[in-house]
Amino acid sequence: MACMHDHSCEDHDCSSNWSLYKHIDLSKVSALNEAIPGSVKSVFKAWEQRLNFSEGHLESNDGDPELLVFVPFTSDVKIKSISIVGGADGASPSKMRVFINREGIDFSDAQSMQAVQEWDMVENLHGVLEYQTRYSKFQSVANITLHFPDNSGGDTTQIYYIGFKGEATQLKRDVVATIVYELMPNPSDHKTKANSSGGLSHVE
Amino acid sequence: MVLEATMICVDNSEWMRNGDYAPNRFQAQADAVNLICGAKTQSNPENTVGVLTMAGKGVRVLVTPTSDLGKILACMHGLEVGGEMDLAAGIQVAQLALKHRQNKKQQQRIIVFAGSPIKHDKKLLEMIGRKLKKNSVALDIVDFGEEDDGKPEKLEAVLASVNSNDTSHIVHVPAGPNALSDVLINTPIFTGDGEGGSGFAAAAAAAAAGGVSGFDFGVDPNLDPELALALRVSMEEERARQEAAAKKAAEEAAKEKGGEQQPTLQDTAMTEGPSASAAEANEKKDDLMDDENALLQRALEMSMDDTTSSHDMRDTDMSEAAADDPNLQLALQLSVQEGAKEGNEMSKLLADQSFVSSILSTLPGVDPNDPSVKDLLASMQNQSEKKDEEKGPNEDEKQ
Repeated sequence: MACMHDHSCEDHDCSSNWSLYKHIDLSKVSALNEAIPGSVKSVFKAWEQRLNFSEGHLESNDGDPELLVFVPFTSDVKIKSISIVGGADGASPSKMRVFINREGIDFSDAQSMQAVQEWDMVENLHGVLEYQTRYSKFQSVANITLHFPDNSGGDTTQIYYIGFKGEATQLKRDVVATIVYELMPNPSDHKTKANSSGGLSHVE
Repeated sequence: MVLEATMICVDNSEWMRNGDYAPNRFQAQADAVNLICGAKTQSNPENTVGVLTMAGKGVRVLVTPTSDLGKILACMHGLEVGGEMDLAAGIQVAQLALKHRQNKKQQQRIIVFAGSPIKHDKKLLEMIGRKLKKNSVALDIVDFGEEDDGKPEKLEAVLASVNSNDTSHIVHVPAGPNALSDVLINTPIFTGDGEGGSGFAAAAAAAAAGGVSGFDFGVDPNLDPELALALRVSMEEERARQEAAAKKAAEEAAKEKGGEQQPTLQDTAMTEGPSASAAEANEKKDDLMDDENALLQRALEMSMDDTTSSHDMRDTDMSEAAADDPNLQLALQLSVQEGAKEGNEMSKLLADQSFVSSILSTLPGVDPNDPSVKDLLASMQNQSEKKDEEKGPNEDEKQ
């Protein structure tokens, strides 16, 4: 379902609605079949910047329009709708399928699994289109995987902006994931004030 | 310290029986596999490595990705060589094995040992490469063994289709004096992707290069200071000992030049001396004493050395003289025999004397206590004593 903005955006602050990008854990964002590794991080920005293509964009490999984007959040979020800005000349994705709270999905998994929701997409060069979600299924999202199986005829698929609209809760789903444990002791990790400032105790 | 899950594809086809890599291709490959497993697990303790074979009856996964080095080494042991390698199937099965790794956070990597000719066409291989790239799986290829027409090109094409950001590598190892493992140690396959190599890789490279890495004894003082210290101390002690031994040898060499002849002659003379006195002893006493005497004599001479030089000198003179003149030799022998004879006479006398006294005692009417008989006996005794006394100094002289 698409929604058109039929009012100018100066009246109310559209960008505040699309502020879920602040809750994205950018360091752990990954994509499969991207031509330039790491370019996926450039598509998550503020709503005002959505048409700013200077920082780079996400492009799939030549001849292969499939794309898989994994987006973890720093806390559980509720997603109301998603907006995608694609490339011109058939380089926009034609279909989108999403999976919730599943890590390590690759293409064969994505193709065989039942998606939480699917959309047929339209070319959205100015970022005014948004795709609403079935809100009840998107109540506590720790990470979301977006699968774009095909594009509208181009050689590659290009994505310039991905935006999420919704609310962020302060809850965390997986607290254990943030623990770092050491398998081999590393003395530099155990520097205390006494050790480093020439006290009596000495760690070798 | 990249967190990685690695699948190693081993070529165990018939072409691996060839001996152009010492000891044979398969064994060289097994050594390389062991080294790689060690390096991977050392660089990051959470890394996992798995092994599969591509030839034989078909592609077979021997070990799923595990960090247990023992399992991997055990499975490499006792592998059969035979069949034909199926590279495409091997890579695909490896990809599947990596897909089902336990820790999804690990990067995926496949290492392929391509030793036999490749029967797949380039297009199929490129497609497989693209699929790997799509799923962000890195691929390392070790091109060794058979040098087929088109094999390097095919492998390079695969690498080009897989490579993204230089995470994949290819190494061509021609047959030669260097072991396969040694050649691989210096490649990015072993050292990792530009991270400078782990400590294990660096140490192994140093050992392979003959320990010429700045460490004195091939032992890193940082890793094992006590061992390095012990080695250094023992080396210095050995050097000091060798110097002292060298000095001694030099001194002895100077001495030896002067008195080289004497020790050997003394030895021969000493053996002759005891033999002569041993002969006398034989005549006089029981035979049992002979061996003991001879041994005693030899022992005495050994300890005497230079002290009784006069005696020795005489003996040496005798032996030297004897060596020169056969007449003298005869004379010497006679004198020895005379001594023996005297002994014989002596014994005879003694025997006679005892015999006489026994006869006298048995004779009726002859009382041994009779003074005349006693005087007779005494005179006979005196004669024998005199002869004893004469004999004694002679013996002493001779001794």
